[in-house]
Amino acid sequence: MRTATAKSILIVDDEEVMREFLTEILEDFAITKACNGEEAVEKIKERKFNLIITDMKMPGISGEEVVKFAREKSPETEIIVISGYSSLSSVSNTLGHGVRAFLSKPFTIKQIRAEVEKIFQTGDFTQTGGIRIGDGI
Amino acid sequence: MSLFGSLSKFALREKFVVVVSLVIIASMLIISGYVIKRQNEIYRIELEKRAKALVANLAYNAEYGVILESKSELDNLIKGVMRTDDIIYVVITAEDGRLLAEMGEDLRRAAKKTTIDQGSPDFSGKFEVAEYVAGNGTEFIEMGHPIETIRQSVSRENLGSVSGLEIKKDEENIEVIGKVRVGLTLANLHREINKSQTAAILLTLVVVISAIIIMTAFVRIITRPIESLVDVTDQISKGDLSRVVEIDRSDEIGLLAESFNRMIESLKKSQMEVEEYNRTLEEKIIERTSELENAQAQLIQSEKMAAIGQLAAGVAHELNNPLGGILGYAQFNLEKIQEKNANNITDKDIKSYKRYLKDIEMQTRRCKAIVQNLLKFSRTSQTIDFSDIDVNAVLEDTLTFMEHQLMINQINLRKNFDNSIPRIMGNPSQLQQVFTNIIINAMHASEPGSEIAVATRFSPPLGEFHGAVEISISDRGQGISEENIKKIFEPFFTTKEVGKGTGLGLSVSYGIIKEHGGEIKVNSTPNKGTIFTIIIPLEKKLSPAEKTV
Repeated sequence: MRTATAKSILIVDDEEVMREFLTEILEDFAITKACNGEEAVEKIKERKFNLIITDMKMPGISGEEVVKFAREKSPETEIIVISGYSSLSSVSNTLGHGVRAFLSKPFTIKQIRAEVEKIFQTGDFTQTGGIRIGDGI
Repeated sequence: MSLFGSLSKFALREKFVVVVSLVIIASMLIISGYVIKRQNEIYRIELEKRAKALVANLAYNAEYGVILESKSELDNLIKGVMRTDDIIYVVITAEDGRLLAEMGEDLRRAAKKTTIDQGSPDFSGKFEVAEYVAGNGTEFIEMGHPIETIRQSVSRENLGSVSGLEIKKDEENIEVIGKVRVGLTLANLHREINKSQTAAILLTLVVVISAIIIMTAFVRIITRPIESLVDVTDQISKGDLSRVVEIDRSDEIGLLAESFNRMIESLKKSQMEVEEYNRTLEEKIIERTSELENAQAQLIQSEKMAAIGQLAAGVAHELNNPLGGILGYAQFNLEKIQEKNANNITDKDIKSYKRYLKDIEMQTRRCKAIVQNLLKFSRTSQTIDFSDIDVNAVLEDTLTFMEHQLMINQINLRKNFDNSIPRIMGNPSQLQQVFTNIIINAMHASEPGSEIAVATRFSPPLGEFHGAVEISISDRGQGISEENIKKIFEPFFTTKEVGKGTGLGLSVSYGIIKEHGGEIKVNSTPNKGTIFTIIIPLEKKLSPAEKTV
């Protein structure tokens, strides 16, 4: 399924297991990995991604700041937030529009795939479906 | 010290006897002294009267014997006188001092004169009375009297006249022709006086002894009930209220005993009331103490739960990360296996399954470690076990939970652990609670972007000090005011909003560090920051009794 025009995804998480797992299940996409906020910002500066999947809590630059930076740098990039916090309240107030989904860890393969596919298949990047929250396992 | 003062150490009976005896002896002495003196005087007067009569009579009768110088006549006279009592000697001398007659031993020759008496006025005044002590110690009185005669002269005109026989007699006619001296012994007088004195002493003794016997009996009547009162009072003072005073009398002492017994009765009643009150009070105290202990235990537990609550978010995050990996890899693995038939599974496939399973195993172990850590922290056991621990490791465990919360609050954590610090005896779960409390407080005091530094160091031994491990937790937060710094270890003191803190965190921490034989020091500058230093000494050897809370 992987094509020359494969969609690019930036995976940002300080947890190696999470980065590796996401890379495995999203093997059809062009994956770039960043293990912290600083690295993510560098990568966003270098190039444009179709999708950024980012963790929230990271040492140094947080996921929230990564989202803000990405919004400014490339407003068309889609964003999915994944977090170890099961409650949205801890992040919702700091998140603006443009975050397509919020998945709380641990999430199923089906959930993350569904979110990613939804973003790329609709192709309607202007649609604002609001924040969707993963319903856990 | 006065007589009564020195008597104060004696019992009532002795006092009474001594005082009354002294009074009796004094009275007897005064009375018998006076009587004996009077007796002496009377006896002496009698003796003198007798002697004077004797001497005067002798002098009169001796007139012719002296004129004639007839020794035999004078001896006859003296012989008659010598029969009288108390006469020692009689001496008759002529006017020129020649001895005319003598009988008895003239003691005066070797005697010493002690007094001179000019004689009593009722006599003619011719007596010479003097008292002597002889060489042999005999006391005697000597009474002297002149022997006189009347010279008769007939004037020439009257010679031959019938009527001229009238004799003109005047003072000038009396002529002294000699002297009578009589020695009278005082021995009889002294014997009588001695007899009287002995009688007086014996009488005094008899009176005093009788008085003592009577008084003892009488005082006994008074003191026996008093002794009985004292005895019962003594028993009462020892707390025994079962005795009563048994005195059946209708006088003042009987009344005293009666009112004393009434007092015992009311004392008994009060004691019973007090005992009853004490009993209920004790029960109440036990009840309240147990209520308080329960409340305290609940508070300490709720403080711990609050700390756990603070950590819950961090723990959840900590667990969700490995769980995410576990869930993901498990599903992914399952998916892969389902896609393949059993026959066409390649070595490469098996290799990747193994890798996924290894990841799952690793992440599961991580979850297990987190859960164990949390259990260790929240254990409610009352028994506190001290073990040999590495403070750095305990701090690391604590910070595992804290790091994420610090991150949310955008607070940097700087660790500066001295890896050479010795191991100490301590309870890891309790110490973790202390570190968590202090770090959470530091976090609440800090602004985003601030820093909290956690450091350990070894304070080396010096003299009797065996060395200590020091843990310092410093922040650059708002600090603690001087007014509040005195109260921070007090239970229920909090500056946090209602519901945010129990005010027990530091108080519980203080207790825990005390149990470790250590101390917590605080150094704070408002708006600059606070440093908490926990010092745990190495020499603290805990006895089994100290190991329980």
